[in-house]
Amino acid sequence: MVARDMSSRQDVTPVLVVDGLAKNYDSLQAVRGISFEMRRGEVLGFLGPNGAGKSTTVRCILDLLRPSAGRISVFGLDPHRDGVAVRSRLTYVPGELRLPDRMTGSEMAESLGRLRGGYDPRRRDELAERLRVDLGRQNRQLSSGNRRKLALLLAFLWPAEMLVLDEPTTGLDPLMQHEFLLLVGEARAAGASIFLSSHVLSEVQRAADRVVVLRSGTVVAQGTVEELRSRARQRVEVWFERKVPAGLDRVEGLAGGLVDGRHYNAYLVGSIQPLLRFLATQPVVSMLVEEPDLEEAFLDLYQEAS
Amino acid sequence: MNRRTLELLLGPMRAVRRAGLLWAGSVAALVVMTVAFWPAFKGSTSMYDLINQMPQGVVQAFGLQDLGTPAGYLRGNLYAFLLPLLFAGAGIGFANSLTASEEDAGRFEILLAQPVSHRAVFLGRAAAVYAWVGLLTLVTAVVQLACDPVVGLSIGLDRLASTLVLCGLLGLFHAGLALAIAGFRARPSTVLGVGLFVAVAGCNMASLFPISEPLKPLAHLSPWDWALAGDPLVNPTEAWRYAVLAVPAVGLTLLGIFLFSRRDVRAA
Repeated sequence: MVARDMSSRQDVTPVLVVDGLAKNYDSLQAVRGISFEMRRGEVLGFLGPNGAGKSTTVRCILDLLRPSAGRISVFGLDPHRDGVAVRSRLTYVPGELRLPDRMTGSEMAESLGRLRGGYDPRRRDELAERLRVDLGRQNRQLSSGNRRKLALLLAFLWPAEMLVLDEPTTGLDPLMQHEFLLLVGEARAAGASIFLSSHVLSEVQRAADRVVVLRSGTVVAQGTVEELRSRARQRVEVWFERKVPAGLDRVEGLAGGLVDGRHYNAYLVGSIQPLLRFLATQPVVSMLVEEPDLEEAFLDLYQEAS
Repeated sequence: MNRRTLELLLGPMRAVRRAGLLWAGSVAALVVMTVAFWPAFKGSTSMYDLINQMPQGVVQAFGLQDLGTPAGYLRGNLYAFLLPLLFAGAGIGFANSLTASEEDAGRFEILLAQPVSHRAVFLGRAAAVYAWVGLLTLVTAVVQLACDPVVGLSIGLDRLASTLVLCGLLGLFHAGLALAIAGFRARPSTVLGVGLFVAVAGCNMASLFPISEPLKPLAHLSPWDWALAGDPLVNPTEAWRYAVLAVPAVGLTLLGIFLFSRRDVRAA
């Protein structure tokens, strides 16, 4: 909720520009010339199934990988040439999380504090309490969920301008997923832009302003959550007083219509206006239009792309 | 030195402190045990008889000449093979643990997302490797100097110091090689395999090739020959011997930093 309330404060200046990014591993094309932008103060959902190229893109943004082609700009800077400056303004949670086995959470926070500066132990303790992280235990003694919580703590510990979060809630229980969304909202309210790479649709649906959908290394859709949702098929059912009127199947956007006496069942893609205009002249008894969710839109996009 | 730079050096040093202390303890124990046998060995004539019956080339190949003298005893039992091999192994091991192994395990991910350059991270790790090899050398020197008077083993401080510095530089040469390989490609098995092969091959070249007339000139290609062929426990060491070990060690390390800064970082 916090994230949505802040949308009016968005700045259209892009803090992240990805332009024609391609990344090849030998003969494998992991990312194939993708382009998108993230605006200041925005939560950008970066969706895609496993192997779509999400982590590769994230690692290019952080200069962990060097693009085969294309250009990335973060805060107007080149992440390779100006890497230190770029990374001083962002924090990161990796998708494949590996922490030093023998270090404790406290030691990690202090070590990163010496690298970043601005370490605040009170903020650390506050986050540890909220995320229920035991900072005194060695990383090797932590479950994968607790290690993930520690990584989140380390990402939210500093007042960053951008958070790059790659599958941040993997292994978290619902309570912690909720806490994560609160933290995202707070970071955004403080002016941060959040790049949220995930395949957890509900999480992106709740947190993101805009979404970029990736499949097999290409962007198959991008836009606001609402725009994406409008591209999804909606199931429509209509009950008429008499038999289903002729011409209903020809209404723009309707497909796969099934007639069962006075009952009509079909899918609608796009605007509902043509259908409403048609039905306004017909003896309709009742009507049901199911709201499409992002998951449906997401699956539709995948089917289109494949 | 600011906090960030210090952390890039001390962080890796802490990361391998267990291994470092284990190496130091092992080397110290080896020196103590070897020195402890000097009184018994000094009085034994049967060992000299046995060595005298061996071909001269073999005696020299294994550093067994003058075994009855303190310098000969230390050379044959510690400084001809064992300690240099341990130093080379430690250098390769530290370099591999702090670079290729860490990267291969995906533990560079969070570190390299901080405001530090790839060069600085690799340089900090290389410096930590150098520091641990230096500490091993220092521990060896301290233990050797502490034990020698107890058993009446007399060796000149300058000879011992130059021998130890050469052994330390030999360790750094192999560490530099391991860092160069790790900079090129983050495969721990490759770093360890190539590093240890070069160490053992170099050792064999320096010790065995001089026995064979056709192969003798090739012995000079070995870093072991550069380091120890001048018998530093007995003779003053020429300055070039330090240089031919130190310059490639630093050069290989810089090559590793350069290669690492130009390539992709491996994910877990």
